[in-house]
Amino acid sequence: MATLNINGTTHQVDAPDDMPLLWAIRDIIGLTGTKFGCGIAQCGACTIHVDGQATRSCVLPISAVSGKKITTIEAVGETAAGQSIQKAWLDQEVMQCGYCQSGQIMSACALLSQHPQPNDAQIDAAMSGNICRCGTYPRIRAAIKLAAKEGV
Amino acid sequence: MNLASGLMKLGLSVITFTYSLSVFAVNLAEVKKGEYLARVGDCISCHTAPHGKPYAGGLPMLTPVGAIYTTNITPDAETGIGRYTESEFAHALRRGVAKDGHHLYPAMPYPSYAKVSDADIHYLYLYFMHGVKPVRQSNKASEIPWPLNYRFPLAVWNRIFLDKQTYQADASKDASWNRGAYLVQGLGHCGACHTPRGLAFQEKGLTHASDHFLSGETLEGWSATNLRGDHNTGLGRWSEADILVYLKSGANQHSSAFGTMTTVINNSTEGMTTEDLSGIATYLKTIKGTNDKHQKPYQYDPNATQAQFKTVTSYPGARLYQQYCVACHGQDGKGVAPYLSPLAGNPAVMDPDPSSLINVILNGSPQLKAQGVAAPFNMPKFRHMLNDTEVAQLVSFMQTAWNHPLEATSAQDVAKIRKLAPSAH
Amino acid sequence: MSQGLIQALADQYTVANPPRRQFLKIAASVSATAAGGMVLSISLPALSQSKQTQAYSELDNGKGVLAPNGFIRIDKTGEVTMIMPKVEMGQGVYTSIPMLLAEELEVDLHTVKLEHAPPNEKLYADALLGAQVTGGSTSIRALWEPMRQAGAVCRSLLVTAAAQKWKVAAASCYAKSGVVYHDASRRTLSYGALVAAASQLPVPKSVVLKDPKDFKLIGTSAKRLDTPDKANGQAKFGIDARPNNVKFAVIATCPVFGGKLASVDDSRALTMPSVLQVVKVDNAVAVIGTNTWAAKRGLGALEITWDEGKSAAVNTRDLIQDLREAAKKPGAVAKKTGNAASAYKKADKTLSVEYEQPFLAHATMEPMNCTVEVSAFGCDIWVGTQIPTFAQGMAAKILNMPVEKVRLHNFLIGGGFGRRLEFDGVVQAVKVAKQVKGPVKVIWTREEDIQHDMFRPYYFDRISAGLDAQGKPVAWSHRIVGSSIMARFAPPLVKNGVDPDAVEVSAELPYALPNVYVDYVRVEPRDVPTAFWRGVGPTRGTFVVESFIDELAHLAHIDPVKYRLDLLSPSPRLKNALQTAVSKSDWGKPLAKGQGRGVSVMHAFGTFLAMVVDVTVNDQGEVKINRVVSAVDCGMTVNPDTVIAQIQGGVIFGLTAVLFNEITIEHGRVQQTNFNDYRMLRMNESPAIDVHLIKSAEAPGGIGEPGTAAIGAALTNAVFSATGKRIRKLPIGQQLKA
Ligand code: FES
Ligand code: FES
Repeated sequence: MATLNINGTTHQVDAPDDMPLLWAIRDIIGLTGTKFGCGIAQCGACTIHVDGQATRSCVLPISAVSGKKITTIEAVGETAAGQSIQKAWLDQEVMQCGYCQSGQIMSACALLSQHPQPNDAQIDAAMSGNICRCGTYPRIRAAIKLAAKEGV
Repeated sequence: MNLASGLMKLGLSVITFTYSLSVFAVNLAEVKKGEYLARVGDCISCHTAPHGKPYAGGLPMLTPVGAIYTTNITPDAETGIGRYTESEFAHALRRGVAKDGHHLYPAMPYPSYAKVSDADIHYLYLYFMHGVKPVRQSNKASEIPWPLNYRFPLAVWNRIFLDKQTYQADASKDASWNRGAYLVQGLGHCGACHTPRGLAFQEKGLTHASDHFLSGETLEGWSATNLRGDHNTGLGRWSEADILVYLKSGANQHSSAFGTMTTVINNSTEGMTTEDLSGIATYLKTIKGTNDKHQKPYQYDPNATQAQFKTVTSYPGARLYQQYCVACHGQDGKGVAPYLSPLAGNPAVMDPDPSSLINVILNGSPQLKAQGVAAPFNMPKFRHMLNDTEVAQLVSFMQTAWNHPLEATSAQDVAKIRKLAPSAH
Repeated sequence: MSQGLIQALADQYTVANPPRRQFLKIAASVSATAAGGMVLSISLPALSQSKQTQAYSELDNGKGVLAPNGFIRIDKTGEVTMIMPKVEMGQGVYTSIPMLLAEELEVDLHTVKLEHAPPNEKLYADALLGAQVTGGSTSIRALWEPMRQAGAVCRSLLVTAAAQKWKVAAASCYAKSGVVYHDASRRTLSYGALVAAASQLPVPKSVVLKDPKDFKLIGTSAKRLDTPDKANGQAKFGIDARPNNVKFAVIATCPVFGGKLASVDDSRALTMPSVLQVVKVDNAVAVIGTNTWAAKRGLGALEITWDEGKSAAVNTRDLIQDLREAAKKPGAVAKKTGNAASAYKKADKTLSVEYEQPFLAHATMEPMNCTVEVSAFGCDIWVGTQIPTFAQGMAAKILNMPVEKVRLHNFLIGGGFGRRLEFDGVVQAVKVAKQVKGPVKVIWTREEDIQHDMFRPYYFDRISAGLDAQGKPVAWSHRIVGSSIMARFAPPLVKNGVDPDAVEVSAELPYALPNVYVDYVRVEPRDVPTAFWRGVGPTRGTFVVESFIDELAHLAHIDPVKYRLDLLSPSPRLKNALQTAVSKSDWGKPLAKGQGRGVSVMHAFGTFLAMVVDVTVNDQGEVKINRVVSAVDCGMTVNPDTVIAQIQGGVIFGLTAVLFNEITIEHGRVQQTNFNDYRMLRMNESPAIDVHLIKSAEAPGGIGEPGTAAIGAALTNAVFSATGKRIRKLPIGQQLKA
């Protein structure tokens, strides 16, 4: 039994220690905004925040996050960075199929809260772990810059 | 892969068959004992080619002088060892001399097997004759060029390096220690990978009497770590229980098996009895460290590394680590033991020879499968993602991260290992 | 993949089903114009308006709702629901189709509600494809007129209802933003208030559509309707379906193509917590659990024995050898103009080369998945699919159930690229669900998704030309050797041995060439399954043709842009696109060390496109793409921003393939496993991509695939310009390493 604090709500989850947080979130708790893409931490579709840090939930055993503050795409809009990133994403029409975008937005929010005015190298460093098969990278970059310009 | 248990099923059906037809009743319990010993000796890992039949040989072993192919040790009469008598079998195992009199290359660890008792040889023989399914598959000639392929000097080699005595118990030690020593030095042939070799390819020590014994060696692009008591690079910080858990499950609080050792665990140690494994642990913990005499004992300290993560764009290694590694191994380098291996303080990372670290990044690790269940997470290969410079940056980062005291690695080191065929036997 | 696929898809739908006759009728009219021409102006697919209404009311037509056709429903509160006959997989149809409807219906785009269309060929068949299919860059081309008609019909009913109420002439009323106005009497009525009356009126036989110059919405970059939910995690993809009491399944299929499941020891798996059941199907085994992780762990505890079958020893080298062998013999003639053979004799110079393109996986971001419940009441399928009716039909066939008992709930698609034009995943999930009580969600791991994809086929091309003294090609011959996807889909479409998809672009060159000979040799890669992959025929064809034209320009010592312009007289729109792209790029400016520029042009899908790529190749042979400039003439655009996004995305998709991707086979198994060895272009490698839209009054062309089709040759031509090395075998991979 693990205790998970997700988006401000505490959940008791009956699952083995090795279960990645992704499956606890999606299958047990039922929040499906966080996506499964690779299961080996190489695509970023499952990105969530643990204590504000972007991390890949598909390889994060729940035993490692008990007591920590977990934020998913469903609640990131409640943060300042989340709000401005989501708005910029819509302004720039970033999304195509949208499947990778929960993860992209989570990575971008974490970037912006750490570096409110990121340069290209910082954007590359924060975003290169997130794959977009539809090829939305140029617009992601533009949207991050827009969000930074408009301020958090 | 789970050759071993698949094999068990095959083997058992063959036993029934042989048993029912044979004029001489074969003692099934003895065959089972032999099967267990074959597992301890991990015969299957070397004597089975990728996608090949169990024990039919054909796996290339890269030696410094050229590739040798392992042989068919199924009881097939034409291509295997079906016509071997028990004494010929014993001679091959303990002396490295085949039935027809030719000398085996010492890639076959017969100097270790020389320690195996007569009783165990008997059980092994029964297993290979009655418990293994015969496979008709001719042996492949070695690729060792002339004149090095001339086998006569091996007789001389044997005269110099082969100790013909079977294991002699040390009366001053308890039974568990002696069992451990017997297994480590003998059938388990740990030294074949973990003991440095001399110019003549001989292991530089076959027992704990030598300072070289189990002090680490690089083979086929893997650095088999130091198993002595050294604090930093050996088992100094591991308890007996840590060793036991590692051999049983493939991972513990310090490290996870990777590369070649995964196969050893899958095919051999995960199925060994707790008594045998504790014997091994007891024995290993009595071998003194010799390697890090001049090093300060490692102390975990993440501060400098955490600072690098704050401005990763100035640290290429930290940046790459953040993109490819951090999700599993953590900024603190602690992973989530035992599922995701810690890197900080891990003896395999603190090995001054970066071969294993490079190799596991390039080629990943075979799936660990202990107690019949695949491990939940597996190291993926990155050879398609990272070029030599990037791998070198990554390895160099890990060599100094979390207060590790090592020298940086160069792209040339990486290029060398990249050229080797990914081996995971 | 134009008319061909399409039909093919229709024919693949082998389940007896009345609408099928209708596809065939439509298809017949399509193939009449098959010679590369696109059918552009079609009325509602082979059905009269009244039939549509009837069909729709069969479906569900609540009282007091205005639903004159399958696409629009207006309730008494005035809420407008639009039913989407195409699936949204990122291409923006959930905005562009509503724009077409809203333009004529006169409602504000952002007030409408969207609904996925249920499977129903009568209502939702695509006229170009002949079936309810999304693919082949046809959505806008096929719906351009029908959707506007549907909107206009509905508006006309509302206006007529208002006019009747007010007892004025309908012509004196007009509609705007969901309200009908009569200016003379200053009266207004909202659509909601008119629904009851309008739904009693007969549906008009014909309506007049707006003149394009009066468009208010079409041609503007309207904000997309599907994106807000994609930004906050509320959008639902197939993988997110959660029917009550759903169970989760993870599946392993025989790693060797054509192999079967021999036996499985599940004793250990069944003792694991949360593992419920182990289910066998012919070539696979699935573990059912209370969550995906439990199922995956259970799968890792199985001892599976496969019957690997006859392909256990096959490797890519053998398959390539098959192609090379086959290339020695002449194939089916796809194009013959003049006499190429004799023209070679008069040529001043000749060049003959070979090109190879690898197997490719689709690797959609959303791995394959399908949720199914089979019960006494029929079958429910929750899945994102490009082919809802075929999937439904296949399920009915497997379950031996009438089609009506199979209810398919379509979802947003996390990437299609042709992968979800196949129903293998649905079939497998239905076979699993048949053995499970209650709904079960079958998820493919990424490894399964890559190793059991249906792959873009390996192709081998031999292409030759003879040049006259001025460097102009006087003879051109091209042999295409590879798998015929069409032959699997729709054997009748393969006429005289020519697969119309495989030779697309190659057989209809935009260039003025007097003597052309193109033939096709079909060779199947034994048990490796093949399928359409973004851009399909034009993607592979354009790579070969545009690389080879570049080779000829080089041989003739003529600038590659000039060389093309001189030959493009038969295609003024393409010529214009090329001139535009070149003028927006730095073509002709001096190059730094290691830098190069390449160009390519493409005409397919009714779209004309040119591309200039600027690259730098470093000492390690690594390619960095500095900039991509593209000019597109795709006729009238519904939503220009979506066009730009599709070209950008298509370019990145193509770059990924050309730089990195190939699926290789050893021991009958795919060697690639996941994104760590099937590499994707990432943010730090992604170039700036400028897209220039050329204004045009022509009918709309497709835009989902041209970017992918054009980028390959432009990139390798740029690599040639930078390094002098001609890439004739994809991917570039390690070929530029010293
Ligand atoms: S699913 Fe976690 S990174 Fe891909
Ligand atoms: S938007 Fe489709 S994968 Fe990124």
